[in-house]
Amino acid sequence: MNESVLMLTIMAAIGLGTPIVFATVGEILAERSGILNLGVQGMMLVGAVAGFWITFQTENLWLGVLLAMIAGAALSVIHAFNSVTLRVSQIVSGLALTIFGTGVAVFVGRAGDIPLIGEPSPAVFNKPILPEALADLPIVGPLIFGHDALVYLSWIVVAVSSFYLFHTRPGLTVRAVGEDPASAEAAGIDVSRIRYIHVMIGGALAGLGGAYFSLALVPSWLDNPVGPAGWIAIALVILASWRPWRALWAAYLFGAAGRVSFTFQTLGIAIPASLLAMLPFILAILAMLVLTSGKRARFLGAPAALGIPYFREER
Amino acid sequence: MTRRLIVEPRGLAPWWLKLLIPVASVFAALIVGALFLSLTGNDWFEVYGKMLDTAFGSGRGFAETLVSATPLILTGVAAAIAFRMLVWNIGGEGQLIFGAIVAAGVGIWLSGSTPPIIAITAVVIAGAVGGAFWASLSAVPKVYLGTNEIITTLMLNFIALNLMQYLVLGSFSPWRDPEATQFPQGRPIIDTGRIPEFFHRLDWGLFIAIAVAVLAWFVISKTRSGFEYRIVGDSFDTARYAGIKVPKKVLGTFLASGAAAGLAGSILVAGILGKMDPRSLDLGLGFIGIIVAALARLNPIAIIPVAILMGALNNAGPALQSIGVPSATVTILQGAILLFAVAGEFLIANRFRRPDRTPEDAEMKAEVSAA
Repeated sequence: MNESVLMLTIMAAIGLGTPIVFATVGEILAERSGILNLGVQGMMLVGAVAGFWITFQTENLWLGVLLAMIAGAALSVIHAFNSVTLRVSQIVSGLALTIFGTGVAVFVGRAGDIPLIGEPSPAVFNKPILPEALADLPIVGPLIFGHDALVYLSWIVVAVSSFYLFHTRPGLTVRAVGEDPASAEAAGIDVSRIRYIHVMIGGALAGLGGAYFSLALVPSWLDNPVGPAGWIAIALVILASWRPWRALWAAYLFGAAGRVSFTFQTLGIAIPASLLAMLPFILAILAMLVLTSGKRARFLGAPAALGIPYFREER
Repeated sequence: MTRRLIVEPRGLAPWWLKLLIPVASVFAALIVGALFLSLTGNDWFEVYGKMLDTAFGSGRGFAETLVSATPLILTGVAAAIAFRMLVWNIGGEGQLIFGAIVAAGVGIWLSGSTPPIIAITAVVIAGAVGGAFWASLSAVPKVYLGTNEIITTLMLNFIALNLMQYLVLGSFSPWRDPEATQFPQGRPIIDTGRIPEFFHRLDWGLFIAIAVAVLAWFVISKTRSGFEYRIVGDSFDTARYAGIKVPKKVLGTFLASGAAAGLAGSILVAGILGKMDPRSLDLGLGFIGIIVAALARLNPIAIIPVAILMGALNNAGPALQSIGVPSATVTILQGAILLFAVAGEFLIANRFRRPDRTPEDAEMKAEVSAA
């Protein structure tokens, strides 16, 4: 493999991986607080359409990012209400969120006087934001300095959320709520509030990830510009064992896998795309089997109270 | 100082509430849908009228509704029997697809001179076996290693989907029609393996699906095995004290659930499709089965009318495009129905009590209204 092919693969891995980094870190934050949200796919799609819609109207990318995050967070509130306030099945509620969000995204893209479907985005996240002189440096130039703004934002999100979870007091509180809500509550923590907030942060980040598809990777409106990215994010949470930095590498690894079939083609080796597309899902299952079965799940870092409704003791 | 109502779990909810919640969920979802339609400049009344007319307005339309409902009855049963035992099989999608792969494989491999009764039985059963096998990939690790089945069933959906696409679109496997060189498609199964139609495109697969739902109801509510199943579903601990082998029950239920979903795949292959068609088998039928199960409150008999309702929605969707309305209206409705139905479970599981009343007062009132 020559240097330029390797370079292209790494750059593509970062590009394809970035939306999944956002969604995976968002889901990690929600799950660390004890709430499993299978609605990632729906939140990403709603974010993708909301971000695209406002950028289409105003040509302002950052307004698109903002609205995508608001839309994702708004949808996630439904799930938080179902799982925290009503304490009904998080699994069914999350799936419902995905179905509803998918319907809303496709509907909004096709309804109205000027349907968005097939339209290209008038503005695209594709310009490196750092000085050209830096990006022109050999090798490290493009790898570190040659990206668009959202890639750097994703690095910031990973670094901040990792620091927050493992090195701050509020982060410790979140993990306590995900491990043992009853003890956390006894220590004076408002479990419901923590869970609402982190499900909503998760929704906002999923929405942002969706917008990266419609405003950077694709960048036009299709019925589903995100593919199965939301489901991949749920798989990567496990592969990353609920840690943001590992989510970054896992997402890039997945991005590289998406690119590798193309790379192999240029080298004359054909690997069917559909077999390669299975890879993240097979890896997630293997990781589940090897690492998360039974007692080992604790060692790996799965929050102990994940997915379990919390009933406050009536006093 | 005004005190808020106390929310507390209740034992048995009155029967009318269990009926009211699903019906109210559907109407609430229709209001949400009307909101989306109105905001985008559509006449919601006209749209719902068009949907009703498409799904139920003619014999042919109703037949199409039943065609759409057939696999949903089976994926609904698959979800219901698993969820009832707190087995979170959300892999109906993958089990349906793998069932279709095995069924189509048998239907292609069989000699064309196989008598219909044998050929149809073989193809249909093959789907159930395939579905059960795909479920076993999650069920066995769950029972013997404690691996969480939510994630494994979910991931296996995508593995099955990509496998199906590989077999037809990505390779020259026996599943791919060798005569279709321009646009790859599935190879037709033998003619004698096809389930006969009796009214337009409606075939006898509908009655297989209904029979499976009735069988599920009968086994659960009328047999000793079903009695044990219900105990396990209510409490693992109680079941263990009663000497029931819980892991065996969970495994059996999981495999039966997969078999039901796989059956949906084989009935599609042996019925309306006649081949493994990757596009027609990737419509989210497994996920809609979860909506069916939730709205039917996991009752196998109630699944039949609910599946017809969802089939009606699926059938009406494409017709909306002719009046310039996105067919995704249907997806919004289905998602909203499930959101309301799952939220409504809160009202069934809990009751409200005024702080000045004792729990006994509330209990008596509930019993009076239940009687």
